[in-house]
Amino acid sequence: MVEIIFLTPFVTGIIAFFLPRAIGRQLLVGTGGIHLVLSLLLWKNRPEAFFSNYFAVTPEGLLSLLVISLLFFLISIYTVAYLKESEIQTENIFTGFMLLFLSTMTMVTLSDHIMVFWIAIEATTIASAPLIYTHRSSASLEATWKYVLICSVGIAMALLGSVFITLAMGIGNVDVPLSFSALTTVAETLDPMWLKVGFVLILVGYGTKMGLAPMHTWLPDAHSEAPSPASALLSGVLLNCAYLGIFKTNKIMYAAGLGDFSGAILIIFGLMSIVAAATFILKQKEYKRMLAYSSIENMGIIAFGTGIGGIAAYGAVICMIHHSLIKSSLFLSSGNILLGYGNRMIQNTGDLVSRMPKTFVAFFTGFAGISGFPPFGIFIGELFIIVGAFRTGHYITAGIFILTLGVIFAGFANQVMKISFDDFNKSDSNTIIQIKEKASLVWPQYILLLTSLILCFFMPDTLYQTIIDAVAAIGGGLK
Amino acid sequence: MILNPVDTILSLVLLSVLFSFGSSQLPGLIMVVGFQGIVASIVPLFIGHDMTAGGMIFTFVTLLIRGIIIPMSIYTVIKKVAIRREVEPIIGYHASILCGLGLIVAATYVSRQLNIPSISSYTLLFPTAIALLISGMFLLMARRNAIAMVLGYIIMENGIYLVGSTFSARARHIVEFGILLDVLAGVMIMAIILQNIKQTFDDVDTALLRTLKE
Repeated sequence: MVEIIFLTPFVTGIIAFFLPRAIGRQLLVGTGGIHLVLSLLLWKNRPEAFFSNYFAVTPEGLLSLLVISLLFFLISIYTVAYLKESEIQTENIFTGFMLLFLSTMTMVTLSDHIMVFWIAIEATTIASAPLIYTHRSSASLEATWKYVLICSVGIAMALLGSVFITLAMGIGNVDVPLSFSALTTVAETLDPMWLKVGFVLILVGYGTKMGLAPMHTWLPDAHSEAPSPASALLSGVLLNCAYLGIFKTNKIMYAAGLGDFSGAILIIFGLMSIVAAATFILKQKEYKRMLAYSSIENMGIIAFGTGIGGIAAYGAVICMIHHSLIKSSLFLSSGNILLGYGNRMIQNTGDLVSRMPKTFVAFFTGFAGISGFPPFGIFIGELFIIVGAFRTGHYITAGIFILTLGVIFAGFANQVMKISFDDFNKSDSNTIIQIKEKASLVWPQYILLLTSLILCFFMPDTLYQTIIDAVAAIGGGLK
Repeated sequence: MILNPVDTILSLVLLSVLFSFGSSQLPGLIMVVGFQGIVASIVPLFIGHDMTAGGMIFTFVTLLIRGIIIPMSIYTVIKKVAIRREVEPIIGYHASILCGLGLIVAATYVSRQLNIPSISSYTLLFPTAIALLISGMFLLMARRNAIAMVLGYIIMENGIYLVGSTFSARARHIVEFGILLDVLAGVMIMAIILQNIKQTFDDVDTALLRTLKE
């Protein structure tokens, strides 16, 4: 039964609200472990869903699910150590909503019905809003307000888009279940005009949640104000979930022969996001906001690659997987930096290399990975995207793409150098690092980065085949 | 042209849009939202001829949530925070009413052009749905009061529900119920945030929420 995989964290999440701290923490890790085992079983057996009208196991869903599962398990181990170091008063609420968040995101990856998918995405907003407000400060309140309002309104647009797709079915006299997979098979009979309108609205709607510019304004605030484990989840997997909605709708568009239309729009939004990220990263003063803008950049890269199609679509999926692995490790490391220096500003940090050497290794390696250095996966993904862009004759857009990536690298590198090697003597009051680098505060990052590294040299056949299956539906592949 | 009962109710909704644009009193705005919610939940019953027991129960639950629970939850918030009058809006009330008039004309014109076959017998249905949708977005952009913004979001959701219900009963009730629960939970979360904003900043003026920016 497929549904059990999102029902388990739902139930444990509800229970966690009523548990004392110590047991709640164990429950968090335990559920993470069970979830990972269930995901692996699902990957291996690929069973039919019990409510097959609403849920289905799809290749793109499986990819996201496995990433979610692995990330959550590692993040939950980190969270336990993080919670011991930081002072969060309402810890049971935090752990409870972490688990509910996991449940809703899992539901997103398994949803096949258009409206159920929407329900799941909106549920992620509701489950993650309390996580952002964990610190109960006025800034985190503002971030939560922006997050809930902007995302709810954005996702409402996606609901309207989904409604218009049902209209496209009505006009085309199509009578199939309202699921992504059924619609893809009958895409040619759908009314093209309303399908296009629906796609644009869905792109704007889920694009808001994915962090595509110009709807990204909530993202840096939410990511910087949330506690680091929650930021890692938001950036590492929530954005992927929203992308899944765009990906699935794009599949219908491609099957309907409207792939050029949807591709062009994806390219525009993708480039806008990369350029927006570049302008803000250059003069960024807070390191968590800098990482958030880097997420916007990477979402832009993924949208751009999907829009170009072919080998670039394959590259986009590679980028998606590796971005999740590397970015979540970076956010976890940023949590250590925040615990250590007690400050979010870049100017109040420095000399990370000698003060927190283990965190430095994770942070700096993550930086190299996210900037597209070989041998990390983002390098391969971006390379495929650039090759794909040139092959399909997108010379100008590819030029902008490469140039902007260069600018972002320069900005990012500048800030990371300051954090890592600058003298740390500006704030005399607390020059002593406040935490010890325990194993569980650094090993999750190491494992995430190591996974990314290993996947570059050795990709299991089943993983490779699943990616190929996923992108084949939008005309992608390694040809 | 003879108006059928559905169109008669919908014309009242269109009028309520104008009222919501001109009103500076929050309780009045909440009444409008509740009225629109009730209409949005009843209208599908007339169109889909869905007079089964399940359909009736679903309509009743929708009405309860959209027409009563959601508006009441916001009303409780304004009672708690004791703010009845809106803060100075970004776009003035008279200008807003003018925008509203333009919006209704535009919505009617656009729906004529689209000519959707399944609902052609209900002249005002699509224009009303579009007008609700856009007026909700308008309130989101033109008001600085956080409560008015949340109400704008609810109006927008009502509009989308009206659009959705017009295109046949394709989605099952269970799915629609899921959507409804999501919206309800979203509004509840917003209500909690509103109370916290009031406690932290002693006002619900979103101009105060400007510390996080580049």
